[in-house]
Amino acid sequence: MGADEGPPSTSGVPSGVGADGPDAVDPGRRKFLIATIGAVGGTITAAVGVPAIAFVTGSARTATGEEGWIRLGSVGSIEPGAAPTLVKATIERRTGYLVEEQEVSIFVTTENGQDFVLLSNVCTHLGCRVRWVEAEAGFHCPCHNAMFGRNGEVLAGPPPRPLDRYEYKVEDAQLFFKEA
Amino acid sequence: MQPAANDDRLKQTGDWLDERTGWRGNWTAVFLRKIPKVSWAYTLGSATLFTLVLQFVTGILLTLYYVPEPQQAYASVTYITNELSFGWLIRGIHHWGASAMVLLAILHMVRVIIYGAYKYPREVTWLTGVGLLLLTFAFGFTGYLLPWDQRAYWATVVGTQIGSVPPVVGGFTKDLMLGGPEISGLTLSRFFGAHVWVLPSLLVALVAIHLFLVVRNGITSPPKRDE
Repeated sequence: MGADEGPPSTSGVPSGVGADGPDAVDPGRRKFLIATIGAVGGTITAAVGVPAIAFVTGSARTATGEEGWIRLGSVGSIEPGAAPTLVKATIERRTGYLVEEQEVSIFVTTENGQDFVLLSNVCTHLGCRVRWVEAEAGFHCPCHNAMFGRNGEVLAGPPPRPLDRYEYKVEDAQLFFKEA
Repeated sequence: MQPAANDDRLKQTGDWLDERTGWRGNWTAVFLRKIPKVSWAYTLGSATLFTLVLQFVTGILLTLYYVPEPQQAYASVTYITNELSFGWLIRGIHHWGASAMVLLAILHMVRVIIYGAYKYPREVTWLTGVGLLLLTFAFGFTGYLLPWDQRAYWATVVGTQIGSVPPVVGGFTKDLMLGGPEISGLTLSRFFGAHVWVLPSLLVALVAIHLFLVVRNGITSPPKRDE
């Protein structure tokens, strides 16, 4: 142990003299140490950081809904030419370890009892639920005053596109739809 | 772009920041301070701090999925461990990191005792260190319950029974820990609250004081033969 080693206050370095002061160590050694710290630190950060990204995005990447045709209800309950009927179906959605029942509401109309229009009740602007207003013969969204026509076309307000339609089929007088 | 021009721009940015924050002085005081000739034993404190940072990062990640509720706690931990991408790794680091942190903190303390580094003028650093060790134990105790499996449940039964031993205050101490007369969903939520909010807040404050004192007082040189 040399006499020049001791607490910092007695090391004879005037305050304000930094790393490259008069008693600076060999710059090659300093550079090597800085590079080593950077490499080891970077490796550890990547070793935790990359799995962390996969971890955080995990449940968002693997969520699954129900596949195939889902029964919505009897065709007979939809009267031709009448106001859109809101029909509800329960679907199962799996997110992570949670299996949750979710209600899907669909506006169903038919003009002739053969061909149907299945409209999502989710406003295409920012996702609020629309409802049928008989007096104005349209779907109204309460969030930003959007209006959609009977077939989902935009009549007023900010929505960028008509209401979404579900694919459907009729079998044994039952109406089926597919999750979008 | 030329490297020289890049260095120049970097220096300009550094100067701009330094003029407004004085960061260079702090950087020099913290990272470029003079230290005596030391051995690897002196890295134990930094090693403990490193495991602490790992615990913070992995712990925060785990809270994104963990649910502190009796019906879901075990299911969410199972999901993290078995189904989620790299969930086994994040939870594994947190699990083993907890043990590593306790071990390193104790080794760090042993080093300080052996080298006599707790003496004047570093008594307050020592005292905050004792507080940090106790907090680390509290982290281990509260975290142990969170998986909500048989081992966690019965370990907490035993641990809180130990808390009931002191005369007069023992019974209430136990009820306070459990949030009632026995383990329930309330125990789980208060252990979780303690583990992720109360203890980290205290720990961060104490670590800040501890590190400030380490930098302020400098570290001890190893004792010499004639001391």
